[in-house]
Amino acid sequence: MTKPTILLVDDEERILRSLRMLFFADYNVLMTTDAHEATRILREERVHVIVSDQRMPIMQGSELLSIARETSPSTMRILLTGYSDMEASIASVNEGEVFRYLLKPWNAADVKEVVAQAAAIARATFATQQSPRVAVIETAKHKLRILVMDNDQATARAIEEILQHRAEVIWAQDEEHAKEILAHQNVSLVVADLNMGGKSVSYILKTVKQFNPQTQIIVLTSFDDTSHLIELINQAQIIRYLPKPIRNNILARNLEFVIERFHALGGSPEMQQRQSVEPVKDEQERLLSNKFMGMLNRLRSRPGVEQS
Amino acid sequence: MRRESYVEIDITSLIKPFECISPDLSLHRVAELFSNANYSNVLSLPIVENGIPVGVISRYSFIDVYLKNYSRELNGRRPIRFFMNPLPILVAHDQPLAEAAQHVTKHMKFPLTEDFIITENGRYAGIGFVVDLLKAMELQMRENAGELNQAYTRLKSSQLALAHSEKMASLGQMVAGIAHEINTPLGYVQNNVSVGKEMFTQVEVMLASYDALIDSLLDDQVGEEQISAQMQQVTELRSNSGTREMMGEMQGLLGDTLYGVAQISELVLNLKDFSRMDAVSTETVNLHDCIESALNIGRNVLKDRIEIIRDFGELPTITCSPSQLNQVFLNLFTNAAQATEGNGKLTIRTWYENGSVHISIADNGKGISPEHVSRIFDPFFTTKPVGEGTGLGLAISHQIIQKHGGDIRVESHPGTGTCFYIHLPAIATTAQVAEMLPLAPDFVQSEETL
Repeated sequence: MTKPTILLVDDEERILRSLRMLFFADYNVLMTTDAHEATRILREERVHVIVSDQRMPIMQGSELLSIARETSPSTMRILLTGYSDMEASIASVNEGEVFRYLLKPWNAADVKEVVAQAAAIARATFATQQSPRVAVIETAKHKLRILVMDNDQATARAIEEILQHRAEVIWAQDEEHAKEILAHQNVSLVVADLNMGGKSVSYILKTVKQFNPQTQIIVLTSFDDTSHLIELINQAQIIRYLPKPIRNNILARNLEFVIERFHALGGSPEMQQRQSVEPVKDEQERLLSNKFMGMLNRLRSRPGVEQS
Repeated sequence: MRRESYVEIDITSLIKPFECISPDLSLHRVAELFSNANYSNVLSLPIVENGIPVGVISRYSFIDVYLKNYSRELNGRRPIRFFMNPLPILVAHDQPLAEAAQHVTKHMKFPLTEDFIITENGRYAGIGFVVDLLKAMELQMRENAGELNQAYTRLKSSQLALAHSEKMASLGQMVAGIAHEINTPLGYVQNNVSVGKEMFTQVEVMLASYDALIDSLLDDQVGEEQISAQMQQVTELRSNSGTREMMGEMQGLLGDTLYGVAQISELVLNLKDFSRMDAVSTETVNLHDCIESALNIGRNVLKDRIEIIRDFGELPTITCSPSQLNQVFLNLFTNAAQATEGNGKLTIRTWYENGSVHISIADNGKGISPEHVSRIFDPFFTTKPVGEGTGLGLAISHQIIQKHGGDIRVESHPGTGTCFYIHLPAIATTAQVAEMLPLAPDFVQSEETL
């Protein structure tokens, strides 16, 4: 088997030289300080994993990764940045749809592990189909079910308005209610605020994504904390991070996109792999997550089993 | 201001309950009343009909009447109604003191000839002496001056706290920027070290197997078989291209590592330079050093996007508070970067003219609209969304420059850019240097917490 190809992009050459040492033994390493050169490589070569810096001249990393998403959708996208500003983090979710958001300075073993995982996933995607974009959209057997986790009913109402009879919208006004619903039924989409009644509900999102990778998570919140968001990228693979308040047409556009993604993932375990998550790291959150996962496992069979 | 501690004197306490007189009372009778010892203090008598005050007659107006020939005999029996002032000064018993005082002083005549009438729901309650009213007013003001002083102190300390929080906010931004700058070299330095560590382990294994082979070769007791196995092991290790390549690269990586460490030290030095935590607040410096220091710290916001053009003239050194001026420059650079979308230019000119040091900082950003230009130095004026700017950055900059005996002004053309002009006296007077100090305690404090 040939070595997978990894493309490293950073405006600091020393970072590239240094990273290369981690990968040259097991990968075909390509690297450049020039984002335009990177887009050319993506067009012309089969790249399994791209690891890009965020702050670069000419082009931001999130922009480069969104171009990668277009030109080489099977390539797994990783951001490696020393600067965790909110704007960049949001762009890396909404535009870059990154697999992982890693911080400088990094731990060599961790980065190696993440890249190895990404390369294996990319290999599987390349093997099964030409492009994940043309994945068979299977017509939903059941109506979409959307869980809205928000203290305020307005969000649920707005989504109901947008999707009309196409989806069953369930509103959970608190943490316990949300868990109750998730414990008893499959949910296609979760639209969640991060705080409910003053408590963080991130652990619910992380657990749901672990339990069923097909579930697509949209965060709709006025709450912003970069480190929190980075965790949600890596541990919940949220597909959109939208600021509150939001205009209805923007919400509608994003919902349509995510619904399409949900269907695309339905038929393909390889595609679902692309959104696999990191284990929960925060001690306290892990306790909560484990407890909730236990509840899910007790009350529901795995969705894959249920569907077949 | 806490309302309950505000001293308020009640009008009711000023009431002198003199009996009022009827408008039908004759001039003679009123004159008799005035000559009564009980009334010796009053300037005028209240005239009331059916409980409602209808006028006032003053001692003074008697002079007018009685001075005319035979007037006393002719008018003595006529009712006072014809002689009274039908527009007395009225004050309600529940009126605030200040308001009453204002009303009375506005309407009273000089020389002071009349007392005012106090009413309760429009009905006569008594008369009040103007002198008493003014005394009460003075007392109230004196009492409240203390309260006002306290409020002023509170206001001042909250202003200081705000200035402090602005400083902390820009400091926070700065530290975040520096953190990023440090994370890049730290990233490869740390990685190179862990790569080196791994390589070192491999080299150790390699050396050990060489050693073992040589030991075996030198030892007569060791048989052919063992030697050939060890040869095999050494050959395998030698052919491990990874270790070879790593060793080849290591020289370069170590060079990078040293470079990275030097960069980190430089960044830390910049930060230290910038805040001058260890320096007294005033120093004699060249402003170019302040500008460079601020550019270094602001590199993170300016970097890549904004080209810096330095058009520096010859400048004499000036006596100033460098950390304060650094703050002004950083603030102006940051604003320029925020006003510029995409790539832009920042032109910094300095020159010396008429005993003053001049600096102009021009960007080619979006500019400031005319209705905002006049307000940009106002405290709390900001066009940024809530939570993103305190609106104090330029207000503080303005204050700092003024304390230095200089001036800062702005010229802006929407669409083409903004230029800030600063001039500072080259030789600050002793008074000015002393002036710089009042601002210092606050900022020195915040620097200590850095």
